[in-house]
Amino acid sequence: MFKKILFATSATPASDHAARVAFNIARGYDAHLDIFHVLGVPSRGYSQVVVDVKTKERVDVDDEYMSWVKEEVNTYYSKYLENGLKFDINVTVGFPAREILRQAKDTNPDLILLGGTTGDEDESVYKKSVASTTLQKVAKSAKCPVLIVNRPAASFWGGLSNITFGTDFSKSSDKAFDFTIKVAKALDCEVNVFHALDITSVSTGKILSQDDIEQKIREAFRMIRAKYEPALKELKNYSMDVWEGIPYIEIVKYARDNHSDLIVMAHHSKKAKQEDAILGSNVEQVIVRAGCPVISVNR
Amino acid sequence: MPEGKYCNKKPIETPEEVNFLLSDTSGNTYYEEMKSLDVDSDLMWATIQKTMKSRLKTWLEICAHCGMCADSCFIYLVNKKDPKQVPAYKIQSTLGEIIKKKGKVDNAFMRHAMEVAWSQCTCCNRCGTYCPHGIDTGIMFGYLRGLLYQQGFVPWEMKIGAGMHRAFRAQMDVTNEDFIETFEWMVEEYEDEYPGLTVPVDVENADILYTVNAREVKHYPEDLAEAAILFHVAGENWTVPTEGWEQTSLAMFAGDWAACKMQVESVYDAMERLKPKRMIGTECGHAHRATVIEGPYWAGREDGLPPVESIHYVEWLAEALREGKLKIDPSKRIKEPVTIQDSCNYIRNQGLKNATREIVSHIVEPGYFIEMSPNKEHNYCCGGGGGFNGIGFFRKQRNQALITKRDQILKTGAKLVLAPCHNCWDAIRDLEEEFEIGIRWSFLKPLVIKMLDLPDHMKPEE
Repeated sequence: MFKKILFATSATPASDHAARVAFNIARGYDAHLDIFHVLGVPSRGYSQVVVDVKTKERVDVDDEYMSWVKEEVNTYYSKYLENGLKFDINVTVGFPAREILRQAKDTNPDLILLGGTTGDEDESVYKKSVASTTLQKVAKSAKCPVLIVNRPAASFWGGLSNITFGTDFSKSSDKAFDFTIKVAKALDCEVNVFHALDITSVSTGKILSQDDIEQKIREAFRMIRAKYEPALKELKNYSMDVWEGIPYIEIVKYARDNHSDLIVMAHHSKKAKQEDAILGSNVEQVIVRAGCPVISVNR
Repeated sequence: MPEGKYCNKKPIETPEEVNFLLSDTSGNTYYEEMKSLDVDSDLMWATIQKTMKSRLKTWLEICAHCGMCADSCFIYLVNKKDPKQVPAYKIQSTLGEIIKKKGKVDNAFMRHAMEVAWSQCTCCNRCGTYCPHGIDTGIMFGYLRGLLYQQGFVPWEMKIGAGMHRAFRAQMDVTNEDFIETFEWMVEEYEDEYPGLTVPVDVENADILYTVNAREVKHYPEDLAEAAILFHVAGENWTVPTEGWEQTSLAMFAGDWAACKMQVESVYDAMERLKPKRMIGTECGHAHRATVIEGPYWAGREDGLPPVESIHYVEWLAEALREGKLKIDPSKRIKEPVTIQDSCNYIRNQGLKNATREIVSHIVEPGYFIEMSPNKEHNYCCGGGGGFNGIGFFRKQRNQALITKRDQILKTGAKLVLAPCHNCWDAIRDLEEEFEIGIRWSFLKPLVIKMLDLPDHMKPEE
């Protein structure tokens, strides 16, 4: 399923739960793990100075410094790196999202694994220098699925048996669905296709009557059947559901109820304005809240 | 010890030499070696006799020491009006002394001259507009930097920067292959959102030849995609060259005249090879000065012009908005207090103040734009021009120099600063990091893209 995994890490406690999942997957699937650390962001124009992510100090980066940081990362993860795990450690300088994407372009992983947002975002060196978050940018532009582990609760990876696939029927949701089916077949797990009907007045512009809601739910069901059931039938176990509410909350609740180990959703490459709204309010909110890892698929 | 291992008179020519000098972290050994670097007075005097023309001689001679230049210099103002920071004094006590002594100056003098040339003048040329005689100290400092470079008395990063141009024809270690590959990668990343988006490479007779700043390729490749998107939406017939794509010139900041010529000739070669109607460079100030204003003279072009008409990005953007090639959705205009940083290199030195204000009239809701004071051709340097931003050795002085811009911005009350120049953008970024005044800063491209009213056929499906 996964042969090559790019694990982008700050090599700090903020990435610890993601690290657990990364090393588990790599072992479980005998995959090669590229432990990738952007050690600092360039500062001062064309000077050689960068602000180190871990120490928050301004440092002159040279080869010696790079190998020192590499050694640090190695030490930080030493307990995971034993017993023949296939891995390498790469460090670089730049803006994290861009450098992660550049590394992905050069190495073509099957999966990018990111840790979630850290508690002290305002203090973070990365945050200061990027317009939107690393996570948003990587999820938007990556060519392979991006797995995000945000909460410690999400870091349990005992293999997969149950996937929640959240759809909004868009084209990129189709891609996410294809990926879901692929994983489900390879790992023999159950798939729950889920659509959340957005009934918040912000998006509908009015308060829906119960008849309207039920009508829309029936429509969504029909869509799910038409779009996804043929492929689902090839699986042993699957289910389909439509709930109404605030979409991201409903998805998180639904996944919890179903004891899902993984949520798969599409990321949208729509125009900037909608993108903020959709990603901000749904995928990203799900990532922040879910009790299991979330995979964002875009292409 | 006359010539050091790191610090010497020999320019850097190869990637290996670049890496070697870079391996001397912060240039610590470099500056240590500089203390015993010999001054070749004969060479300097011979160079002066060959290169110092009547304008500079006259300027040095006719300065009336009236002091009118003092208050025009932001570095003087921000350093408690120290008399040693008066432009006339700064140049008379350095270049003036060298001339008086026919080049017979010692090592300590040269190191002092280096400090004055790179940490007390950003070559913003503001003093030149206030001098009753029209004496431009910034230009004279540019000349002095050349003499200092030749003798090896040049800040570490400047020596590296000039070396990068010699070794890579770019200010960073970005090869021609890296450039095209990165551009194609970025376009690919955005082609879902902008169907049909491409980067036309080496197309002959295009309407526009686009040149960039190597930093975009290295660190902010989104900028390349943004340029492609705007040309694409505007329906322009444009291209980028596989060689000669780097518009900037750290060699100019370093005073490496030979490298200046090499760099600009690579761009001119691209123009001559591809025969575009016009050349447009990215949102950079000194790059425009180097390639469009000064470059023709470095390259020895008789007409003082680049091979094809060359305009700044803001001129193209203003034109595209004026002619309706790019349409702004009025509901998406900037609706918060916003100001603009006038880049010395193309506002004061080339008079493009109206172009940027025309852009502002399209992208900012009326009533929200606030001018800095002073502004336009009277605006102050961002505080990091002329190479100042990049020099670690003079960081303290640079941070002090940022205070002028900080206070100018604070006075406007704006939280967003438009900075269509890489150097200004950096300086403003650094001043926020240094003083935390709670502002954001941006190039024009990403802002305009967010406001575009896209024609239906350009919208992605779905």
